[in-house]
Amino acid sequence: MVCTRYLYRYALMLYLAMSGGVLTQQSIAAEPMTLEGTWKLSTPQTAFKPDGGSIPFTQKGRQRYKEDKRLQAQRKLDEYDYATARCASPGLPRLMITPERFRIWQRPSVVTIRFEWNRLIRQIDTGGLIAQKRVGQGNGGPNDEALVGRAVPISQGKWEGDTLLVTTEGFSDNTLIDDLVPHGYDMKLTERIRLRDQDTLEDRITIEDPEYFTKPWRTVVTYTRQPDEIFPESVCLDSVNLEHWPPGKGQ
Amino acid sequence: MNRRGTNSASSKFALIATLVCMGPAMAQLPALPPGAARPGGPPAAGAQLDSSGLPTENMDDSEAMRARLGANFANIMRPPLQADAPEPPPDPRNFEGTWYHEDSLVMYMARDMFGIPLPFTPEGRKVVQRRVDSIRNGKPYLNASAYCIPTGQFWQFDLNMPFNVHQSENLMELQFEEYHGIITIALDAAKAPPAGYMGRSVAHWDGDTLVVETSGFKEGMWLTSRGSSVSKDLKLTQRIRKVKTGNRWYLEMIYTIDDPTYYTQPWSYARRYAWRPDMTLFREYNCEVQTGAKDGVDASLLPEPTN
Repeated sequence: MVCTRYLYRYALMLYLAMSGGVLTQQSIAAEPMTLEGTWKLSTPQTAFKPDGGSIPFTQKGRQRYKEDKRLQAQRKLDEYDYATARCASPGLPRLMITPERFRIWQRPSVVTIRFEWNRLIRQIDTGGLIAQKRVGQGNGGPNDEALVGRAVPISQGKWEGDTLLVTTEGFSDNTLIDDLVPHGYDMKLTERIRLRDQDTLEDRITIEDPEYFTKPWRTVVTYTRQPDEIFPESVCLDSVNLEHWPPGKGQ
Repeated sequence: MNRRGTNSASSKFALIATLVCMGPAMAQLPALPPGAARPGGPPAAGAQLDSSGLPTENMDDSEAMRARLGANFANIMRPPLQADAPEPPPDPRNFEGTWYHEDSLVMYMARDMFGIPLPFTPEGRKVVQRRVDSIRNGKPYLNASAYCIPTGQFWQFDLNMPFNVHQSENLMELQFEEYHGIITIALDAAKAPPAGYMGRSVAHWDGDTLVVETSGFKEGMWLTSRGSSVSKDLKLTQRIRKVKTGNRWYLEMIYTIDDPTYYTQPWSYARRYAWRPDMTLFREYNCEVQTGAKDGVDASLLPEPTN
């Protein structure tokens, strides 16, 4: 009898363990990982480090890159990188290597990345809002093809297991990929964002733009979890010498 | 035109046109009908003025503008909410989601929410008189909106562009489409960040009403585009609750202005922000491209005297 009881218990435990495991797997499939939290670049960087060591520039891409380097040496920032010169949005993917922190708010339809620097945000549509035409013009949706591109278009995301697969198109050509590398209107970004572990966020980025690169190139950026703190107000224009700001200046 | 395609002349024109009206948000409005008075111009014919020439009614200018544009001002750019739109979270203390000031823009405030004229101090009256005169004379002043600096709660909430609310245990964060503005509200005073242009906001719950108290403003602020104002000595209280009116959900906010520099006693006004989950994805508002340029803020807007 005792042996039978133990066998029964064992069978029950085995069943619960197995069904629990199945449930856990189902939960993972049905409910995406939470990327929420506050993050910061694990290693400060101003340029992306391409897998394979070099960026596959087209001739035009290489010319523009050299020109940007020449203007950088001459400190003519506004002529090649006016986002930095004017405190404008640096655009994607450059925002993803901002040296300040960012906070991820993850909701069922939208993942919002709130950057500490200059109060910028990035939105990733994970709920098909653009496809449902639940957004007006100017959001980078299918009705906006004739409109100008954006520094930070609305990205589209979907979960593949524990990875958020994010694609972004619809760029302007007014921003740089990093501090020097140019891109055009036709750039396409594909990102695979996941938790490498609970305190490390990974973004594997593929950059395509046939006008500037002979083939897609890849880079990986990692971020380290930070304490959840409320960001102080960040106003980049305070660092620019505006002629009549603050009020009373020069009077 | 420089290499990256920034057309300086057109940028200036757009900036001037929009700032004279009410700030960059107006850039997306259609052109006025031929012969129509430009918004931000003199008070509408028949508008009542008090003894110092200030408009006495809250809505005179707004109503005049609506009449000129021939439709609900805010909804020109926005279709109605779809019938199958999702509802807000059921928890009355959860304000998450997207909200939008869809009521007509108040261009000038002269009365509180009870209809009582605002209790200006001499200094407060002087500032608003100066601004009204500057617009009437066609020489409006530079302000935070012109520079794309954080404008203060009043201007930020009022203009007809959406904002998203995210909240956690200790933080409520409001993200605005316009000016890529952010207002952070600490639900734990010990964790509030230093004060800035938007002051330092700390909140507590009074039943299901969130009471937000903000002070420590870096600069004085414009309440409206025609120059209603508060000084940086302001202590602002916002009482915010989620309400349902008919079949529509709103965030109701009652603002109480306690600013002894510009007003002899506290006064209050109310706004409501409609539930608009269809506006969650924002249009891009990259205003520093213009305002951060060396010639970005044109001299057609004048620096405001400070005395």
